[in-house]
Amino acid sequence: MRYSTSITKGLSSTFAQEVLERDGPNELKPPKGTPEYVKFARQLAGGLQCLMWVAAVICFIAFGIEISKGEISGYDDLYLAITLIAVVVVTGCFGYYQEFKSTNIIASFKNLVPQQALVIRDGQKNQINANLLVVGDLVEIKGGDRVPADIRVITSQGCKVPNIQNTPRTHPILFRSTVWLSGTERICECMFPCKELEKETLQSVYFPPLQVCLSLTAKRLARKNCVVKNLEAVETLGSTSVLCSDKTGTLTQNRMTVAHLWFDNMIHAADTTEDQSGQSFDQSSETWRALGRVASLCNRAVFKPNQETVPIPKRIVVGDASETALLKFTELTIGNIIDYRGRFKKICEVPFNSTNKFQLSIHELEDPLDLRYLLVMKGAPERILERCSTILIKGQELPLDEQWKEAFQTAYMDLGGLGERVLGFCHIYLNEKEFPRGYTFDTDEMNFTTSGLCFAGLISMIDPPRATVPDAVMKCRTAGIRVVMVTGDHPITARAIAANVGIISEGSETVEDIATRLRIPVEQVKKSDARACVINGGQLKDMTSDELDDALRNHPEMVFARTSPQQKLIIVESCQRLGSIVAVTGDGVNDSPALKKADIGIAMGIAGSDAAKNAADMILLDDNFASIVTGVEQGRLIFDNLKKSIAYTLTKNIPELTPYLIYITVSVPLPLGCITILFIELATDIFPSVSLAYEKAESDIMHLKPRNPRRDRLVNEALAVYSYFQIGMMCFTDYFTAMAQEGWFPLLCVGLRSQWEDVRLQDLQDSYGQEWTYSQRLYQEYTCYTVFFVSIEVCQIADVLIRKTRRLSAFQQGFFRLVLFQLCLGNLLCYCPGMPNIFNFMPIRVQWWFVPLPYGILIFVYDEIRKLAVRRHPGSKYHTYFVKLFVHSLIFFFGHHWDKTVSWLC
Amino acid sequence: MAKGDKKNEWKEFFWNPRTREFCGRTASSWGLIFLFYLAFYIFLAGMFILTMYVMLLTLDDNKPTYQDRLATPGLMIRPKGEEMEIIYAKENTESWDTHVQALNSFLSPYNDSVQEQKNYACKPDQYFKQEDSDSVKNNPKRSCQFRRSILEDCSGLTDRYYGYDEGKPCIIIKLNRVIGMLPGKDGQAPSISCAPKKYKIGKDEWIDDTDKMGEVAYFPRNGTFNLMYFPYYGKKAQVNYSQPLVAIKFLNITLNTEINVECKITANNIPNLNERDKFAGRVSFKLRINSRN
Repeated sequence: MRYSTSITKGLSSTFAQEVLERDGPNELKPPKGTPEYVKFARQLAGGLQCLMWVAAVICFIAFGIEISKGEISGYDDLYLAITLIAVVVVTGCFGYYQEFKSTNIIASFKNLVPQQALVIRDGQKNQINANLLVVGDLVEIKGGDRVPADIRVITSQGCKVPNIQNTPRTHPILFRSTVWLSGTERICECMFPCKELEKETLQSVYFPPLQVCLSLTAKRLARKNCVVKNLEAVETLGSTSVLCSDKTGTLTQNRMTVAHLWFDNMIHAADTTEDQSGQSFDQSSETWRALGRVASLCNRAVFKPNQETVPIPKRIVVGDASETALLKFTELTIGNIIDYRGRFKKICEVPFNSTNKFQLSIHELEDPLDLRYLLVMKGAPERILERCSTILIKGQELPLDEQWKEAFQTAYMDLGGLGERVLGFCHIYLNEKEFPRGYTFDTDEMNFTTSGLCFAGLISMIDPPRATVPDAVMKCRTAGIRVVMVTGDHPITARAIAANVGIISEGSETVEDIATRLRIPVEQVKKSDARACVINGGQLKDMTSDELDDALRNHPEMVFARTSPQQKLIIVESCQRLGSIVAVTGDGVNDSPALKKADIGIAMGIAGSDAAKNAADMILLDDNFASIVTGVEQGRLIFDNLKKSIAYTLTKNIPELTPYLIYITVSVPLPLGCITILFIELATDIFPSVSLAYEKAESDIMHLKPRNPRRDRLVNEALAVYSYFQIGMMCFTDYFTAMAQEGWFPLLCVGLRSQWEDVRLQDLQDSYGQEWTYSQRLYQEYTCYTVFFVSIEVCQIADVLIRKTRRLSAFQQGFFRLVLFQLCLGNLLCYCPGMPNIFNFMPIRVQWWFVPLPYGILIFVYDEIRKLAVRRHPGSKYHTYFVKLFVHSLIFFFGHHWDKTVSWLC
Repeated sequence: MAKGDKKNEWKEFFWNPRTREFCGRTASSWGLIFLFYLAFYIFLAGMFILTMYVMLLTLDDNKPTYQDRLATPGLMIRPKGEEMEIIYAKENTESWDTHVQALNSFLSPYNDSVQEQKNYACKPDQYFKQEDSDSVKNNPKRSCQFRRSILEDCSGLTDRYYGYDEGKPCIIIKLNRVIGMLPGKDGQAPSISCAPKKYKIGKDEWIDDTDKMGEVAYFPRNGTFNLMYFPYYGKKAQVNYSQPLVAIKFLNITLNTEINVECKITANNIPNLNERDKFAGRVSFKLRINSRN
């Protein structure tokens, strides 16, 4: 032993504390990240930004030349250069801030799922965060754990690790983060918690709104107990079409609970809710008192001490699952069981074993005058029944005749059919003469009565579904997501739970059900008639992959029981072959391949092993199925919002593009200036497009089919080309109005460009015969820019209104802030003094604000009609081809961050 | 493998023989979409034309809705030269012939015969107002005669070469037409005055070419635009409007040197100090006459 550690007791916690203070926490030094100023500089040096720098430099040079020539004709070049630089810096800051924020969000996730280590200190096992380990600590590792520090193995059994170092040595050394694949609990000693460098994980870079959306959603999800390890997972989750879920712990509460009781020839339902909010059964019967007594006494489970304040269902119990269930049940119904047991002093007991299949104990009675012994017994119902000759009905012992036996059989079958684990209970008062006080009971010889007992009743237990699960499954159904249960449990239990939570819906039958109903052999049943299907692991092993595909295709409601983790992988692959996007939950080490293979691997935060968490894309902190559904909802929301945001951005690009197209082709005076475009892009646009990304979900988001990622990309549907040209037109109407009212009729404008822009031409005639100098024309041009800008603003407002909701009418959501923002900014730019010469904005006449209004209203009307159509006929596809072309050309032009985005889109 | 898949996917997207889809749509689907867009664009075009038409209906034929850009009318010279530079060699006829021809063609509508035939001899020194009454439009409106002979030495009638051959060139200055403009208040006619332009040679040092420019003669006398040529009623109502002109003649300009001249309009109701527009109420040009002697 090195480090003076006791092999049984480990370090003392005080010493460990000292070492911790001396050495610091057991953490890997974070990689020497890119310095912040480099990150900022990167934001300033993107492709587009570089272009703008070059443009700014050219402007400066031009201005410099003018100065050196001594004739300063104007400060336009200087202003343009300054504007360009300002734009680059402002967007750079914005981008940097966004990156900073999302990096922080992602970093914070690390702390949400800290690595735990089971450490032995002062001879006690404690679960502590792995970063509190110190040199010399003893840690215990079991299969599936990630090694919490660099350790030396002291004892191990069947240890299997992927990359063991120095294998031949007696005490092999393992480095941190190795996954301990299998092998039983072993004790290891921490070696040097050496502070090597963590490998730098490359983070994918998306274009800013996407990054913001993803990281914000990830944050929102984390609050709802879904930790996303991989940002893309958020989006994939939204397109999930098949959800393969574990049963135990995910769909169920992962605790056996008494569900039903059979006594007095009646099945009584117990309260199985997590918070004991359900109905209880009638407890007035004498029989119940007897049954309750047997259940309380014939039970070895005890609560761990010091849990008085904890609600009973949450208390920790020492004992197996059924006994725990019975203990909690009796504690809830009868009262303080420890006291109760104390009143019936236990003389001896025979624990459960697999040959007897029963457990019995013998107690003294509560009443000190009654000197009989009481023998209580519980076990497999049929074995219990064998030993009984009477049955307790309404407190009366009745002979156990065929009629009662049949009643018992029916009840047993009923409860078994519910997938519940059934136990039988019986008791007998031992004859006082035969077994007087002081009689030596020999448990090996069984020197006491073990037959002719009195049957008290049956108690059945189940791991009940979580309260939120049926709702969540229902939500999945409406959202077009197929929930497939994959469990290692018995088929009947699996089926019962599936039916209970709605994975198998009411009225759905399996092939076997139909066969029994119609009394025909199973082979004659048409497979497509059966909605539900339960396949167990044995059957699955014999199926070819085609057969499995067929089964998945034919039966919408699938349950796989008695499956091994390897088979989970087969199921996932089969679903993927059918074109589904598959999410899979898993907790064990062996689930890792399935988690990796699935489009979304979801690991359990509580039950999950480190290996599973490693392989997964997402971690459910509360192991709750309902959280996955929340995740799906968020994933869909993010897709929706991105779609809105991108649609908005694209829609606005057309009116920005048309002026140049028209300018070149028809040679009108330039309707929209560069600085104006910069203002649209960077000032008036940022707020709406970002705010679209923050939109709340539309109420029908979970009523739509999952999108098909192959067809339904971010930009294809409803990016109606019509509104583009409409918007372009509305801007031109305003432009021509402004020109005509100043004396330049539309027809004159056509082809006017070369004369209009001729600096020497100081007497160009307008439509009325008036003559204009170049400067006067230039200010007129600025007026046009402004008018065009205002039109685009109006169209943006209309656009925001229509984009806010893709399917639902726009009237629900509050949008006045957005409109107000746009109007204020527009007014500031138009009417602030000094704007004409700096930013080429002219104060424009009030009525020019209103020219585009009818068109804006028209856009709105169209879109409401379109949405109506979409609501009436969901799922039709629009403009796929055009939009593909359009997007690709856009990408071609704005190469910027888009390459990443594209690969993501397509 | 993945690459091949992608390629196939694209191929299939382009033409899918199984579903007979071209670019993801069947023929009938394409047809419908084509029809839809055809109808839609016809509708859009119609709407655009309609709005334009309605907008044009709101406009007055004779007076623009707004004239705020034209508060200060521009000035312009003839001949224009290159970049407002008139540079020629006295002895080289070809170097000034273009200017002479430009002036000739510019002044031809001002020929006395034409003016007398088309235009009306108005009463000078007062505005020639021809307002419409409420119901009757006073159209077409008459215009006042501006006879070429008013320009005397610079009319090209007496001196065919406008003095260019002698090194005493004429420059004609015109005031941009602005509908309804009434320059000069209280009967004071607006006038043109030319002076050497000041320019900077160093920090806070300005010089001009006063000594080099020499004497300048104005035609008509004092370089005034007679009030009777105002107001202008637009090219539709006042078809034959003859813009008033002022000619300046450089009488003893220094040869072989560059001279910057700036002409300004002086009128008591025209602001002519617009820093950014160098042609509003003023005009500047460069003059250089080369000579071998």
